[in-house]
Amino acid sequence: MKHGALLLLGALLVAAAARVSFGPTADGGSLRMAFGVPSIESLQLRGSAVIGAALLGAALALAGLSLQALLRNPLAEPFVLGISSGAGFGVALVLAAAYALALPAVRFGGEAGGAVVGAATTLALVMWLGRARAGHDPTRLILAGVIVGSIFASATMLVEQMVPHGLRGDLMSWMAGRLPEIPEPQMLSFLAALVAVAGGLLFLRSRALDVACLSDDEAITSGVELRRLRVELFFLSGILAAAAVAYAGPIGFIGLVAPHAARRLVGASHRALVPASAIAGAALLVFADCVRQFIDVGTGRLPIGVVTALAGGPAFLWLLRRGRWTA
Amino acid sequence: MDRVMSARDLRVSYDGAVALDGVSLEVARGALVAIVGANACGKSTLLRTLAGIIEPERGSVEILGLPLRELSLGTRARAIAMVPQRPELSAPFTAREVVALGRFAVGEDSRRVDGALEETGLTARADIACQELSGGERQRVAIARALAQAGRDSVLLLDEPFSGVDPGEVARLVAVLRARAEVGAVLVTIHDAGLARAIATDAVVLLEGRVLAAGKAHATLTAETLTTAYGHPMEETGGWIAPRLRTAR
Repeated sequence: MKHGALLLLGALLVAAAARVSFGPTADGGSLRMAFGVPSIESLQLRGSAVIGAALLGAALALAGLSLQALLRNPLAEPFVLGISSGAGFGVALVLAAAYALALPAVRFGGEAGGAVVGAATTLALVMWLGRARAGHDPTRLILAGVIVGSIFASATMLVEQMVPHGLRGDLMSWMAGRLPEIPEPQMLSFLAALVAVAGGLLFLRSRALDVACLSDDEAITSGVELRRLRVELFFLSGILAAAAVAYAGPIGFIGLVAPHAARRLVGASHRALVPASAIAGAALLVFADCVRQFIDVGTGRLPIGVVTALAGGPAFLWLLRRGRWTA
Repeated sequence: MDRVMSARDLRVSYDGAVALDGVSLEVARGALVAIVGANACGKSTLLRTLAGIIEPERGSVEILGLPLRELSLGTRARAIAMVPQRPELSAPFTAREVVALGRFAVGEDSRRVDGALEETGLTARADIACQELSGGERQRVAIARALAQAGRDSVLLLDEPFSGVDPGEVARLVAVLRARAEVGAVLVTIHDAGLARAIATDAVVLLEGRVLAAGKAHATLTAETLTTAYGHPMEETGGWIAPRLRTAR
């Protein structure tokens, strides 16, 4: 377990160092890669981008872990369950409404509000649709999430078509999952606080989360206040997923791959799994951001959502095929 | 009678359909109570109500003379443990880790965990992931978790522990439950009335949510009562009770 945690921390440091070494420069070369010794300004710029990516990865991983515990389903994560798309629709609506009403440009607060409402609505809807007679059926739940997610993604595209060209382009690239090149300090502070609070709460509840892996009857008679725990997990995963979407658009599969990687390295106990998942998520997203720096298909660097989906989608399918997720 | 658990006039319904109606029972220390009846007669509902998972619309459950609903979660976990019909596990825990989960509300205690593994014959398999264990072994892991959780003089509730389990495994489970019943009390739902009569001290027969018969196992589990309970002729064959079947040629 110790080795696993060290391995994850090492991976995060390597990815962060790599990302700081390559990337846009502060002196105008905003989209070109710069090798060699970067200036202090470039380092600061890239440093804040790394911190943003790491916090976002941690938030996505914790959102995935909370959903997996809430739904007792190892395949759960915000993107697969449609929560990211729901949050994205919320943000798109807020942006379009602000445009239509000629309000000044919406700041992070407004977008976050739309994202939280969209995420919570979707999560509640998917849980209701995926409900079987005996608790939640994993396959049914995922199916409901995928369909609800694609409905919201299409609704977002509809909103895109109704707004003028400039905003449309912004919305489209944002819906593909785009990391801010120069994150606002307030956003970073907000994400950092959220990750700290959510991680802390999950860590405090780690033993109850372990017991919640048993059947409901066993968990309740073992003394877990299952209903309260689930309400906490519902809001926690919704807010984490919403904040992640408001920050960078819907980014898939980090919430799935990070907790799974962490489980392999530190075991199933949440006391180790909560911090390990957060670190794994941070490392994965910073690494994906690194990979992105090297890929230019002529339209600038790829949105990060493309990288995570191209790598994470197959990982999801592999887990599905292996079939070990039904305990 | 040294009474450890009692229920009075329990009524439970789901969406208007009555699952339990006017069920009362008393459980003495040292009793191994078989709850017998046809499918959907309310056996599982009764166990879940006694465990405090379902709040009855009417009636009450007392454990060691105290009302169940007034106990804290920790006190309740120490007094009652339950093994459901289908224990679940959604994470790759080892047998020992699962058994240790039983200590959630009552304080970590590795000696109790080791003791429960020993009692269920799982010591050699303790560090294997549960997903790799056989169905019978997983059932024993769930029982070991319940044993590790509750105090020795507590009430153990098991829902169909013998279904889908091979005869050797049945014998091992019976030995574990008997040992437990000697110091506390054990309630099990059982489909096989012959097995129930062979292992239980007492029995409760349910029919459509009501108590059809209750008392000492040998006096209660008669062919006549069970014929009514199952809606099919039951007969004594070689000390066992079995459904009357047309034999194969």
